[in-house]
Amino acid sequence: MGAVAGALRGELRELVARHVPPDFLGAFTDDPNDLETAQRFSRTLADRSLLCIAWPKEYGGGDATVWEQTVVREEMWAHHEPRGAQYMGVNWVGPTIMRHGTDAQKRTHLPPIARGEVIWCQGFSEPDAGSDLASLRTTARRDGDGWRVTGQKVWTSYAGMAQWCFLLARTSTGERRQQGLTIFLVRMDDPAVEVRPIDCLMGPHHLNEVFITDLKVTEADVLGEVDEGWKVVQEVLAFERVGIARYARCERLLMEAPRALGDAWDELPEELHGRWARMLTHCRRARLLAYSVLHRQSEGRVRPGDAAGYRIAVTRLDQDSAEVLMDIAAHAPRESARAFRAAVADHHRYAHASTVASGSIDVQRILLARHILGTA
Amino acid sequence: MNIDLSEEAFAYGREAQRALGAAGGDELVKRAEADPASRAGLVEPLLGDLGAWDLDPRGDADDLEAAAALSRAFGYWAAPYPIAERLARPAGSDGLVVVADRHPEGAVAGLDLRWTTVTLDGARGVATAVPSDARARDTAFVTALDVRSEGEADVRDVALGLVLPCWTLLGMLDRAMELTREHVLVRRQFGKPLADKQGVQFQLTDAEVERAGVAMLARYALWSVQDGRAEAVHDALALRLAVIEAAETVLRTCHLLHGAVGFCDEAALSWISRYSQPLRRLPYGVSGTGARLARSIGRDGLTGLFSEVTA
Repeated sequence: MGAVAGALRGELRELVARHVPPDFLGAFTDDPNDLETAQRFSRTLADRSLLCIAWPKEYGGGDATVWEQTVVREEMWAHHEPRGAQYMGVNWVGPTIMRHGTDAQKRTHLPPIARGEVIWCQGFSEPDAGSDLASLRTTARRDGDGWRVTGQKVWTSYAGMAQWCFLLARTSTGERRQQGLTIFLVRMDDPAVEVRPIDCLMGPHHLNEVFITDLKVTEADVLGEVDEGWKVVQEVLAFERVGIARYARCERLLMEAPRALGDAWDELPEELHGRWARMLTHCRRARLLAYSVLHRQSEGRVRPGDAAGYRIAVTRLDQDSAEVLMDIAAHAPRESARAFRAAVADHHRYAHASTVASGSIDVQRILLARHILGTA
Repeated sequence: MNIDLSEEAFAYGREAQRALGAAGGDELVKRAEADPASRAGLVEPLLGDLGAWDLDPRGDADDLEAAAALSRAFGYWAAPYPIAERLARPAGSDGLVVVADRHPEGAVAGLDLRWTTVTLDGARGVATAVPSDARARDTAFVTALDVRSEGEADVRDVALGLVLPCWTLLGMLDRAMELTREHVLVRRQFGKPLADKQGVQFQLTDAEVERAGVAMLARYALWSVQDGRAEAVHDALALRLAVIEAAETVLRTCHLLHGAVGFCDEAALSWISRYSQPLRRLPYGVSGTGARLARSIGRDGLTGLFSEVTA
């Protein structure tokens, strides 16, 4: 990646070491200090123009290359995402507003994201609209100069702490279900929006239900064109699919295992050493596939199947490495390797979600199949 | 490392693939099997035309990329010649074969060449093929090697000797996927092309992810050799483990989706499948390669984002 990227990686590791507790496992735990750590760390990054490093300077970014942006993604995910929910604003909300927002929307939303001051959530999934997102039922009905939105969202990450929601709702019925959908940028503190947390294995503050009852929105809240939201959604999902460097956490934990186990490492069954080595190979494979996608994107040679292929590879890696790491961690000393064991257990819990997060793996297979067969 | 091979190497590989196709393509391996004595004569003139013997993969980074591209082109047609081993030859030798510690073998029958051998532990030898009357159809040209010890090998020999044959196997996977794609688009069952069925699509995608991932690892391991990196043998072993595992997935999937015709001599897949065996089993198969990789990297792991953690 070059010397600039290497220096950036060093700077980020130093910042993490200085500002993030060594046993930090993400912002969404029972301990409210973890959320505060993430918010504070996001502002620390923002002060150094590192939070939105690849954004243009005019929006508070650092005008950095895609490779520097990749270093940030790798280091953050490897260290249990000390930006908390901020990565969503940075990775896809901000870039989408830059492409489709009005000047007023850019002025309103981009500076707070760049400063690490605001949390966004994504109002896409519904009880009857998961992978089949176009079947969503949340509806925005015309009301004077605006709309009234009513519906229910579910599996909404960070909704309980978010100030804004990137909401997808139906505004009309077209010939195809993908027509007639519109993106609204809505405030989460409106009394018409109710959030109910869903306890789950990833932590108590992660997933939520969102009930929207007669929420008043205006033309100024519409992102892009009315009824043309589906195109924006496709872009969002494309940003999201390469936005998380899952391989980086797998690699960090795998590489940490021999040190964490100490002498116990040599006592592992030979077959487990072999599985560990195999997972390291798969980490490298996923990382190189990611770099290949980014390389093509940076040259404007994007092939739709490439990102899907990477997602399939990295998802498999996430889950396979989690199983290997759990087997290894079972041999780790309970006290001296407590942090390692906790990190591995957390990785294992999150790995379960990787087959459904940002579009299920089967949707990725469909996309890749179209690419291979030339039926896209 | 550049993500892609150089444009020149890519073009060279494409030209080699075209030339092999013009020289017989899928027929080459059939002719060699029917008349093993013709094996060298089928491709050596073409190698001269392609300037293969002028390549200097040990001394020139561009030539190493060209050698990889040529090895891949040979794999694409399952061309019956140990091109990777020949291109990896050290000075004064006809070729380089990485062999197992015990019972050294190579797919070099009937070529009357003088080979250099290396083991993963770094033992170097000179070898000739032990004559055998076994049929090529049964052996895929694998024969025992009569090895005379010649001291210690340069680790670069081990890395280069492992990496280039992986490019040949990668070429076989390229072709197997291409053949299978064509087959499922044309073959109709229950009134529709096989490609319309999601079960078929998903198997194809999983195999393609394996193939595409190996292509990236092959590029990385080649760069590691080019760069003279100390860990080049680790990278080569990691590539080898990945490519032989991928071959299992890809070829099993390709056979399944071809149906019975995939076993038949009329199907190119059948020949690719059989002639992939030496590349997949020698010097070690999946278990042996995995164990060797684990032993080789010890506690240090592979070079990557966090290699300094345990270094």
